[in-house]
Amino acid sequence: MITVSKSYHWLTKSSFCFLLCCLIWHNQYAQTDSLFKAQDLCSQKKFEQAIQIIDNVVNHIETKEDPSAWHIRSFAYLQLYTQSGKYNTSKIGLLDTSVASAVQSMKLDIKGEYKDQNAQFIENSSKKMFNLCIVLLKDSLNSSKSDFFYNKYKKITTLIKPDFNFKEKDLEYYNGTGSIFVDLYLKNKSKKEYQDVAKLSLLKAIEIDPKNISANINLGVLFYNEGVELMNKLEYDVDLSQLDIVQENAKKLFKQSLPFMNKVYELEPKDARAIDGLEGIYHALNDGEMENFFKQKKQALDKK
Amino acid sequence: MKQILKYSLFIILAFTSLSFQQQQSFDPNAKVKACFIYNFTRYFEWPEKMKTGNFIIHIIGSNSVLNQELNKMAASKQVGNQKLEIKSGSAIDASLKPHIIFLLTDASDMLKDVASKFKGKGTLVITEKPGLAKTGSSINFVIADNKQKFEYSKKNAEKSGLKTSEELKSLAIAVD
Repeated sequence: MITVSKSYHWLTKSSFCFLLCCLIWHNQYAQTDSLFKAQDLCSQKKFEQAIQIIDNVVNHIETKEDPSAWHIRSFAYLQLYTQSGKYNTSKIGLLDTSVASAVQSMKLDIKGEYKDQNAQFIENSSKKMFNLCIVLLKDSLNSSKSDFFYNKYKKITTLIKPDFNFKEKDLEYYNGTGSIFVDLYLKNKSKKEYQDVAKLSLLKAIEIDPKNISANINLGVLFYNEGVELMNKLEYDVDLSQLDIVQENAKKLFKQSLPFMNKVYELEPKDARAIDGLEGIYHALNDGEMENFFKQKKQALDKK
Repeated sequence: MKQILKYSLFIILAFTSLSFQQQQSFDPNAKVKACFIYNFTRYFEWPEKMKTGNFIIHIIGSNSVLNQELNKMAASKQVGNQKLEIKSGSAIDASLKPHIIFLLTDASDMLKDVASKFKGKGTLVITEKPGLAKTGSSINFVIADNKQKFEYSKKNAEKSGLKTSEELKSLAIAVD
């Protein structure tokens, strides 16, 4: 039987501990080395390669709670998105990852070493989201997709500015959407869906700011034009009873446009668009007295 | 970007108001009147001798939008086998045998002359000034409740030599 002396036993035990420490240290060192490598690749603008490394670092048991790793990851993803081209919706996942990494870094960053920069990354991402939703509206006319990105922008902004007041941004967004779709509808009146999006957005804008001139004008124009379209679509051989119904419906639309135009006139009595609009609406409503009133206002304005 | 966005929205708004101005030439009543007039050709029966040649609508007075609308209608519609023909002027064209004479507001004073001249000739006289259905026209366009409607005098239509329909009375503001 082999007997092991106590000292030998102690030696084995301590060697094992030493080896384990070396291994851990080496592993940790390897991760730290990877982090430097990723950082280096970022400075060379090789973000795709940097991401391959940094993704392993943040998943590694030894470094997954290192705020600097998450911070670098946020940066790399944000830059890769920027590199992928302006307003790239297919790569939006990169922005999401950048934001999530910045948030994680902030959580782990007890000393607040990366706080400002992380906030900056999040803010950059939220700005990109906002720009994206506007571009989507104009290019793809996809209002629901645009709404999705706008809501994302709001969600991300709230991460760094929990008390941010979105009133102005909401107004800008809904007014912008409304204007774009009013214009589209006026160019192609068969596209009823454009009109619906415009109405909905402008009503939201007015809900936020009832005194908003452009939203009121656009809504007035929309309802008025809808009435005109209804009349223009009439067939000459329309049944007389049907003719009365069409007139009734058009009248309702002309009346619906009135409060919006009146609001603009009330706020800006010298706004030529409001005066023109009201003259047209009263003409359509066969209200000669009011039509003349605004005709005279227009003439007086023209003289000035 | 923000500035670009604001600038582009400004352009869009400018387009929008322009579109509204373009609609100003729209006269809802011109289209409605054209529809009414075309419908009247189905509710009245003209004398046999007037069932050949073109179906003539004689407009007296000035309303360029209405003229345009009626000409548009004439280009796409017929009355039975008869082609529609629109004749416009400020006075009666004596060489015409119109099926319909439409005295516009500025020619309303001519009603008495027109009614007596075309009595029994098979010409439907239309006016657009309050009260004229009682003083000689068969159809008089009026505005009621913000809408275009018409008064109908069966008596005057019969005096004009037209066979009338009872159904029309139910769709009109009857004056007799």
